[in-house]
Amino acid sequence: MSVGVLRLRLSARRGRVRERIAGYLFVAPAILLLGAVLAYPAFVSLRLSFTVAGSPTGLGLDQYRLLLRSSLFWQVVRQTGTFVAISVGAHLILGMLLALALNRPLMGRTPLRIMVLLPWVVPDVVAGIVWKWILNPLYGVLNDVLLELHLVQSPLEWIASPKLALFSVILANVWRGFPFVMVILLAGLQAIPEELYEAAAIDGAGPLASFRHITLPGLRKVLVVALALDTIWEVRRFGLIQAMTGGGPGTLTEVLSTQVFKQYFQFFRFEYASAMAMAMTALLLLISIPYVRMIVREE
Amino acid sequence: MPGLFSSRSPLAAAAIYTFLLAVGVYVIFPFLWMLLTSLKTETEALQIPVVWLPVRPTLKAYAVMWIRKNYAVYFLNSTVVSLITALLSSLLGALAGYGFSRFALRGRGVLMGFVLTTQMLPGVLVVGPYFKILSAVGLYDTRTGLIIAFLTICLPFATWMLKGFIDGIPRELDDAARVDGCSWLGIFARIVMPLVLPGLVATILFAFLLAWGDLLWVSTLTHSESMVTVTLAIARTVQEFYVNWPELMAGALIGGVPSILLYLLMQRWLVQGLTAGAIKQ
Repeated sequence: MSVGVLRLRLSARRGRVRERIAGYLFVAPAILLLGAVLAYPAFVSLRLSFTVAGSPTGLGLDQYRLLLRSSLFWQVVRQTGTFVAISVGAHLILGMLLALALNRPLMGRTPLRIMVLLPWVVPDVVAGIVWKWILNPLYGVLNDVLLELHLVQSPLEWIASPKLALFSVILANVWRGFPFVMVILLAGLQAIPEELYEAAAIDGAGPLASFRHITLPGLRKVLVVALALDTIWEVRRFGLIQAMTGGGPGTLTEVLSTQVFKQYFQFFRFEYASAMAMAMTALLLLISIPYVRMIVREE
Repeated sequence: MPGLFSSRSPLAAAAIYTFLLAVGVYVIFPFLWMLLTSLKTETEALQIPVVWLPVRPTLKAYAVMWIRKNYAVYFLNSTVVSLITALLSSLLGALAGYGFSRFALRGRGVLMGFVLTTQMLPGVLVVGPYFKILSAVGLYDTRTGLIIAFLTICLPFATWMLKGFIDGIPRELDDAARVDGCSWLGIFARIVMPLVLPGLVATILFAFLLAWGDLLWVSTLTHSESMVTVTLAIARTVQEFYVNWPELMAGALIGGVPSILLYLLMQRWLVQGLTAGAIKQ
């Protein structure tokens, strides 16, 4: 092997090493920052959740035992489940119907498409506040309209009523969340080739058949993305509920995020709150598995 | 184009337009009601039956909120903190996105999994310890502390979004510049960034909206009046014993308008940015 070839190989290898170092330098700031401000505090919470009462260094499952025995915890889990399931379900149905409607040549389609994302753009606190006002039992405009149309006999209590409180919060949350799902689904619809529908029509497929056999399979990927992201966001939803009801009346609209917040910053039960937050994290990671797997497979 | 609503009968068309009208009312009415209420006097807002249009519209509620209730300060706080967060997270996210997109890093899968996982963590998991850490290093109740906290929400998204955009730019451009002796950083700054500009704008906007809309972190990491952001101010006002609704609606609009304006100005890029990752095959 001549010296020249050797030198060339050496410099090529040095180039590759240098390239790898450059790559690490590009990702380092983000990774280090996320490690410091997210991974480390998460680890502190994890450690805190295994605290044993009366022993500063001991590790145990005391907090989790306490958590699983608390009827309030299970009530909050149920309410979170209801809140997330109905919100995401309604986002999906409304988002899908609207995306299908907007995926056709219609008058005023573009302004409508732009306008519809507005609720998703404003802070969720703002959404909570305005719906709180619309649903005000005494002066609220919705009661006024319902009474005027004779749909109800007497004003509904909405967020003050044990029966309607959670539903009222969900109503506001549906308003805020369905536009995102719509936008993602519409983009998915537009990526489905027109020819597929034409071919199906020639084969005599009706609208329902072509929806089932062309639209739905074509949307599989965007559906996973939209559902996963939406579910994760709704499980974490905090500002809307905090501003609208603060978890009340009583604890009837408490969800996991508001409850962890209260346990931590109002009752100062740091260890217990951490255990609850860990349970919530486990739930979120579980939900995100299909999404993460899809992304990893693509890479 | 057809899909489910393919029948061209007038009945179907009528059904679609009715549906669109209903959705349009559902979407727009709360904004309209916010605006109308904010222009009323308190007496007018509390009349039964409801007065739909303010008889003599007044901007008094805005004046009260902006000046006497300090919303000018809160607005400035929100703007400064969200803007710096958005720019910083997009810059760091672009660097990391470039690194992930272009380099065969060892442990790339693990690192990207890490970024993706941080995106799933709930804020309430870290907000408590984070509060203690900030207090220990003297950053509690400062804008800097808040910005660092907001980075945790924005950076994972920014990295992920921008990696997607950079993936869409042909590698050959990099290689050509590399042959011409351009450094990696030079390629990043002079070739990749200009091409990825629409995506960058979308990311900055998205990060801004996330930071601007936050309530959890500001309620835990600040306590003094001069650090309050608009969202925190609105959330506090609604919890007061006595609520003046025209004023609160004015406050809510003050908190919503920047997001709305920025979105309207840049909606094309935002929608592209949100959907690029989802429909990329």
